[in-house]
Amino acid sequence: MSDATLPSRRLPFPAALRRWNIAVGALILTIVVAGALLAPWISPYDPFRMASGPRLSPPTAAHWFGTDELGRDLFSRVLLGARLSLGIGLAAVAAGLTFGVSFGLVIAFYPERVKGLLLRIVDVVYSFPDTLLALALVAFLGPGAENATLAIAISLIPFYARVTYGLAAVERAKPYVEAAQIAGTRATRIMRVQVLPNILQSLIVIGSIGFSSAILSAAGLSFLGLGVQPPSPEWGSILASGRNYIARAPWILIFPGLAICLTVLSFNLIGDGIRDLTDPKGRQRRI
Amino acid sequence: MLTFVARRLLTAAITILVVVFLAGVLIHLVPGDPITAMLAQSGNASAADIARLTGQYGLDKPVWQQTLLYVSNVLQGDLGTTIRGNEPVAPLLLGRLPNTIILAVAGLGTALALGIPMGVIAAVNRGRAADFAVMLIAILGVSIPGFWMGLTFIQFFSLHLGWFPVAGTSARNIVLPALTLGIVHSALVARMTRSALIDILNEDYIRTARARGLREREVLMVHAMRPAMISVVTVVGLVFAHLLGGQVITENVFSWNGIGRLAIQAMLQRDYPLVQGFMVIFATSIVLVTTALDLLYGLLDPRVRRR
Amino acid sequence: MTRFSRLTLPALILGATALTALPLAAQTTLTVARSVDADGLDPQKVSTTQSSQVTDLIFDTLVTLDASGVAHPGLAESWEISEDNLTYSFTLREGISCHDGSAFGPEDVVFTFERAVAPETMNPRRSQYGPIESVTSEGNVVKVRMTEPYGPFLSYLGSFSIPMICRSSVAADGNFTPVGTGPFTLVEWSRNDHITLKANDAYQGFSPLIENKGRPYIDELKLVVIPEAVARMAALRSGEVDLAEPSLEEAAILENEPGFKIYSADLSGQQVMAAFTWKLAPFDNPEVRRAIGMALDRDSYAMIAYEGLVSPTTCPAAPGLIGVDLEKCAAWGTSYDPDAARAIMEGLGYTPQNPLKIKLSVHALPGFDQMHQMMQQHLAEIGVEAELETREVAAFFDQMSQENLRTEGTPVLWTMGYSGVDSDYMTVMWQQPGFVNMGVGAELDTMLADQRMLTGDARVAKLQEVQQYLLENTYAVPLVSPGWNWLWASTDKVDGFRTGFVASIIFNDVKIAE
Repeated sequence: MSDATLPSRRLPFPAALRRWNIAVGALILTIVVAGALLAPWISPYDPFRMASGPRLSPPTAAHWFGTDELGRDLFSRVLLGARLSLGIGLAAVAAGLTFGVSFGLVIAFYPERVKGLLLRIVDVVYSFPDTLLALALVAFLGPGAENATLAIAISLIPFYARVTYGLAAVERAKPYVEAAQIAGTRATRIMRVQVLPNILQSLIVIGSIGFSSAILSAAGLSFLGLGVQPPSPEWGSILASGRNYIARAPWILIFPGLAICLTVLSFNLIGDGIRDLTDPKGRQRRI
Repeated sequence: MLTFVARRLLTAAITILVVVFLAGVLIHLVPGDPITAMLAQSGNASAADIARLTGQYGLDKPVWQQTLLYVSNVLQGDLGTTIRGNEPVAPLLLGRLPNTIILAVAGLGTALALGIPMGVIAAVNRGRAADFAVMLIAILGVSIPGFWMGLTFIQFFSLHLGWFPVAGTSARNIVLPALTLGIVHSALVARMTRSALIDILNEDYIRTARARGLREREVLMVHAMRPAMISVVTVVGLVFAHLLGGQVITENVFSWNGIGRLAIQAMLQRDYPLVQGFMVIFATSIVLVTTALDLLYGLLDPRVRRR
Repeated sequence: MTRFSRLTLPALILGATALTALPLAAQTTLTVARSVDADGLDPQKVSTTQSSQVTDLIFDTLVTLDASGVAHPGLAESWEISEDNLTYSFTLREGISCHDGSAFGPEDVVFTFERAVAPETMNPRRSQYGPIESVTSEGNVVKVRMTEPYGPFLSYLGSFSIPMICRSSVAADGNFTPVGTGPFTLVEWSRNDHITLKANDAYQGFSPLIENKGRPYIDELKLVVIPEAVARMAALRSGEVDLAEPSLEEAAILENEPGFKIYSADLSGQQVMAAFTWKLAPFDNPEVRRAIGMALDRDSYAMIAYEGLVSPTTCPAAPGLIGVDLEKCAAWGTSYDPDAARAIMEGLGYTPQNPLKIKLSVHALPGFDQMHQMMQQHLAEIGVEAELETREVAAFFDQMSQENLRTEGTPVLWTMGYSGVDSDYMTVMWQQPGFVNMGVGAELDTMLADQRMLTGDARVAKLQEVQQYLLENTYAVPLVSPGWNWLWASTDKVDGFRTGFVASIIFNDVKIAE
């Protein structure tokens, strides 16, 4: 997550695909999402079933990614892992976005003095690195998939609140909002009916930026034993339980690791491409 | 100018206060009772033991009183004592802080050393294959989980090549963790350098310089880099804060004796006073660094002061 | 800052001393990598294995134990037990000195006991000291009086449970610095990073387990913490550390690799078992508990989850301890028989389509983690759907203390490890309220209390009665032994390292080859 220039205009999506980074990102993401959605149908084995094959078998025709320490098929586990990792990402981003947007909007419509204080508090929490915030929260909440998701969602709120505030403040200064205010429309209604629809598209874009951070945080938490618990094959937890085979059976680390990298990469590429698109300076080719 | 400095310092003070308050509140998120959790390990705690410890940690008071007690203790420099080993938290954490700062600075230096050249290469080759390749590498770096990279580095650089020691806290040990942190955080630096440089290379005075027949290398180094670097400096604070976040896991992987590794152990052992103290000290460090950078920009650039 | 600022000055001093003392051999340091640090170095305030492994190097014991658990002289050169088994008179050895140079004497022993049993010390091992009434000294003799006979006393006295502390450990302001009579002296402790110890030049050792009865051969012992197992193994393989707690995954292959040695604590007294929240239906039905016992395949846990580095076990106390007879236990308890287990569960209406839903509540540890996943599958095969709940160790025991008190709700199957130097630890575990409230009932309590008052064969018989009761009612399903902090790996430069009771680590005989 970085706070580079915020998109403020509607994006022509099909045209966006013409940018290489968005195209590549979208391609990878489509494959990962398809894998996650179709996992139950395309998994060659039950991802929880032990002794599906010999223990610690290297990749073969029967086991594309090899098998793990209990003889479970790694390909099936990584596929199911896509569901978990993307699921956690989606849940965390959705929750974080909902609360972040609400806070951001509310702050934008508060009187000047209160606004300053609230904004300051958001800035404080935002200055705290999100991975770390998630880590600290889980330390108190206790480990587990739900708590990890909750912690990651909370850690995303400040970012979304800050961004929403920025967008809403611009919108608020526009004449139509002023007109509505003079006409006596209630602030909540202005937020809901006028401001929110106008910034919605930008928010969807911003949402995608939170994903990469959420997936990395989830993997990190699981790796430390604070996130998703075995035998659930979240990518970070596969890495956590297989890490000691780094010398004996490196494929247990390579494939889930690659899955994380590629997925995060796809979100980063898309996010980057969108920033390129929306950065007014970057748009025209001047050289 | 003075009001700007005063306002910024006041903000920093309030910020730290808010963090201390949040750290004090966090303990109440804990499901169950931390005292029983710690005594359960010994397995034969009496009711009297529980009462004594509860009193010692102030857990018998209402939540708001406990939180106020915590805040006022912290303001007097008392972060409590660890549950395990009953050691004062503040000296324990502060003793590790220098190591953490050394690694963070080394990581930041690596991120700049990697990111700036990548950004320059991308900018001068804008739209060509080199731009594409460099930016892809940068984004790839930020997409790799730090712990995974760390383990791979240990396996390869320490074990196979024998270049660096595996674990510990010394000058030779710093290379791999600093590299891990640097690679992960170089992407933002590269992106910032690239876009700043692209803007500047299109400025009129650069065109003039070119028209005067200066060689491209000279144009880049003498006229374009300096203003571009000012833009890069503005993201240093942001990179630094994020780097500190990633540092916690990296310290643990490389057994670096900083406060991050101490904190992870504390989190796994549910040593709450230590985790709280870690949050307070870590957040305070971040606030101090960002405030210092803000003040610095304020001095350099009058426009910042008015914001 | 650990090294940056301090590096230069000590380096200069070291350099200077090295120059002046040139003819002497270089200082030998043994570096040991562990996964976790000690919680504390006050042996009356800590109880975890990783803490006691360190305090055991600093403090010695009144008596020592040989490999079969028989007591021999230690800091006490002899002792007498009164007819009624209530009074122990220990005659202390002369000429033993504490690390700070003061003489070790009866005052220190009295101090040790008084502090250990004082309520404000909150000693987690209080119950192992037994029903002490008073501790007094007369000249060179320390008398410990019990209110009732306490059979396991000498065993505990010989283990790291009851180490002798020098009075100077506790400063006037109450601060504790470990001062003992053991083979090593504390130099420096940086929490969660390293503990540096140096050889105690004045050391006199008495343990039958060691050959070198004088000062340890190595000059310095450095215990470093490397939490990440991958890094720990890399450090061992690269020679950065001499001895390490290996990951099970690599220990299994290191065994067959030239250049490395593997050590397994054969006197660990460690016991890994499964237990039930037996108050919660249907676990209140012994048949259900029995079926679950029969579903668990301890052989494959030992072979696969623990990579063949532990042995399956059948008794509720660890093999090798007093009164533990694996064959008798095997007859009393359950053995792997999934078909019979399935038949019992089907008879009660539980099938894979209509499974019994339980929780499998556990804490994370190497080997345990894989075992739990295997248990989950073994349970599924007999129509039991177990939801795996993993917690960090402190949280887990907290949770179990509450689960064991509940009288309604989802039944819980849970696993735990316990260790000790005497089978008496079954008393600590099972006598009501018991460890994490796992106590069973009055009938068992009486047996457990009785065995404490017996000695010799009578005690063995009573201890077996206890085990028979636990197994026939399937309150416990013993799984494997040992199970944690028991395994070590070293480079072959290291010679003479061994492990002692309760997975203690012994460096007295260690030599490092060049």
